[in-house]
Amino acid sequence: MSDSILTMRQERSSLDLRKMVASERIVAGAIIPVLILLPLFVAGSWTYALGVCFANSIGVLAVSALVRYGGEVSIGHSFFAAVGAYSVAILETRAGLPLSISLPVALVAGVLCGIAFAWPSRRLSGIYLAVSTMALALAMPEIIVNADTWTGGFEGLYVSKPLIPGIGIELQRYYVPLVALAVVVYCLSRLRQSRQGRALLLARSHPAAADAFGTRRAWARVSIMGISGGIAAISGAMLAFASSAVSPTVYTFWSSIFLLVGSVVSFYGLTLPRALIGGAFLTLVPQVLSGSGAWIPVLYGLVMLVVILAGHYGPQLSSILFRRGEKR
Amino acid sequence: MSAAYHILLDIFPLLWSGLITGCLYALGALGLVMIFKSSRVVNFSHGNVAGLAAFLIYGFSSGTLLTLSWSAAVLMAVVAVIAIAFLSYAIVAPIMAKSDLTATIATLSLGLIAQGVTLLVFGADIVPLDLPLPRFSASLLGLRITGYDLTVLAVAVATIVGLFLVIDYTKLGVAFRAISANPIAAEICGLNLRSVHLFAWTVSAVLGVIGALLIVPTTFLSVTTVATFMLQAFAAAVLGGFSSLPGALVGGIAIGILMNLFTFYVSPEFTNTFLLVVILVALNVFPNGIFASTGGTRV
Repeated sequence: MSDSILTMRQERSSLDLRKMVASERIVAGAIIPVLILLPLFVAGSWTYALGVCFANSIGVLAVSALVRYGGEVSIGHSFFAAVGAYSVAILETRAGLPLSISLPVALVAGVLCGIAFAWPSRRLSGIYLAVSTMALALAMPEIIVNADTWTGGFEGLYVSKPLIPGIGIELQRYYVPLVALAVVVYCLSRLRQSRQGRALLLARSHPAAADAFGTRRAWARVSIMGISGGIAAISGAMLAFASSAVSPTVYTFWSSIFLLVGSVVSFYGLTLPRALIGGAFLTLVPQVLSGSGAWIPVLYGLVMLVVILAGHYGPQLSSILFRRGEKR
Repeated sequence: MSAAYHILLDIFPLLWSGLITGCLYALGALGLVMIFKSSRVVNFSHGNVAGLAAFLIYGFSSGTLLTLSWSAAVLMAVVAVIAIAFLSYAIVAPIMAKSDLTATIATLSLGLIAQGVTLLVFGADIVPLDLPLPRFSASLLGLRITGYDLTVLAVAVATIVGLFLVIDYTKLGVAFRAISANPIAAEICGLNLRSVHLFAWTVSAVLGVIGALLIVPTTFLSVTTVATFMLQAFAAAVLGGFSSLPGALVGGIAIGILMNLFTFYVSPEFTNTFLLVVILVALNVFPNGIFASTGGTRV
């Protein structure tokens, strides 16, 4: 009895979900041309902020992918972002290589770091991963500062080589992150359709069934961390490219938490509009509140809490409202 | 011969001061483990709330907010922290029933709010916070033992022994153990889940305040000091297996001594990296903590 009610509810919610996905696809279809044409109309400071926003959106996607496919929360993704950013910056200052070569290097470095990092906690529940990512995020700034012959210490490094020579660097700082964001969103949507993606979701939601089908949970944990680390490294590389500099203050423990805030605010969504909401939240709120910095953590914490509570109580509230509507 | 003597001369004070700070890490770790054992949530706001409490004591006693005597300030801060613990539990508890992961993220947002409030009220400056400690110092076997050391040791031992006695012998303690072993069966037997959870959250908050108060004299008080102190507490809890109270105690002392040896012999600049390595190694070598009982899982 109760089972059938449960499945009915689930079917209804999955119908809602399908409707939502369809509407998001329409929104995404409308957003892309707008974003492509936007630099023709707005001032340079806005294209700069939007470039940074796209880079942050990719970082938000990395955290959301980990939550969605791995069921784990990370508060250390600034580490992987820093790996990507410093790969790009160091390859440019040391070897003079442009983004077209350093971006793949950054991606590989991010994936490898993700795998290396998830390996020790592969058999354990998610809290261990969360705690060790916290240590990771706290360790990163001191590593960067102390390895100053390579990383430039507190002062950081500059990233100024254009990807395509001959086109204005300001425009590239807008379009390259946008293209990267679109590619990451596309790849994630392909992942959802693929065998691998489904195996990962099965390992997350029905671990015993996944074992029976031959998907090892340890493999699932390690591989999703690799994927997520790779995406975060792309985000860091894009952030370095869009903001033209890297410095240890951008990759602290707090920036990791902010990435998680962005992911929560976008309801862990992996679509383009959701990612943009998360990225915009991370980029634009500090700009608006730049005069009163202490309000930022309070506001982020409150918004995060409100979104979590809305996600928790929302279905109950809507079902109450729905029933009232039926009675009338 | 003399080299070995010098090492011994160095190592005893290092072990001693490691033991002292280790007791404080253990207090922090015990709070984390209490909450995790009973309600399966990792309380990431622990450090930030404890930091806020230390700042409240400073504010109440120094005249920034009020001018009270030191003990009255401590009392008011403890009351405030218990109120925060009740509020946090009221917010987190309904989410906890549905998803541990979301509840853990919710504690992070509470931590962000606590951090922001501290910044708003007290600013980002470093403030001095003194404890009314007995001025005392003695030398024993080459060790310099100060009043601070003895106070920390006495308070930590009293708190921990008291806590273990409560958990072992009182009704509430038995209920706590029952609920952490099997919450569903414990609830069927008529135990009140909520009151035991509240007990765990309250005790954890008070332990956090004690730890924060005692760690402050070794450094200065700033928005980040207590939060970074809590990383050591997290490492201690991981070393102990995250669901064992004796494990947290031993883990805390081990972390205190290891950190001291590391900063003295290797480098004082890579402390967080060292903790990361300790956490990762501990996860590989003792995946379920130092006192793990081996057992299989059922599918």
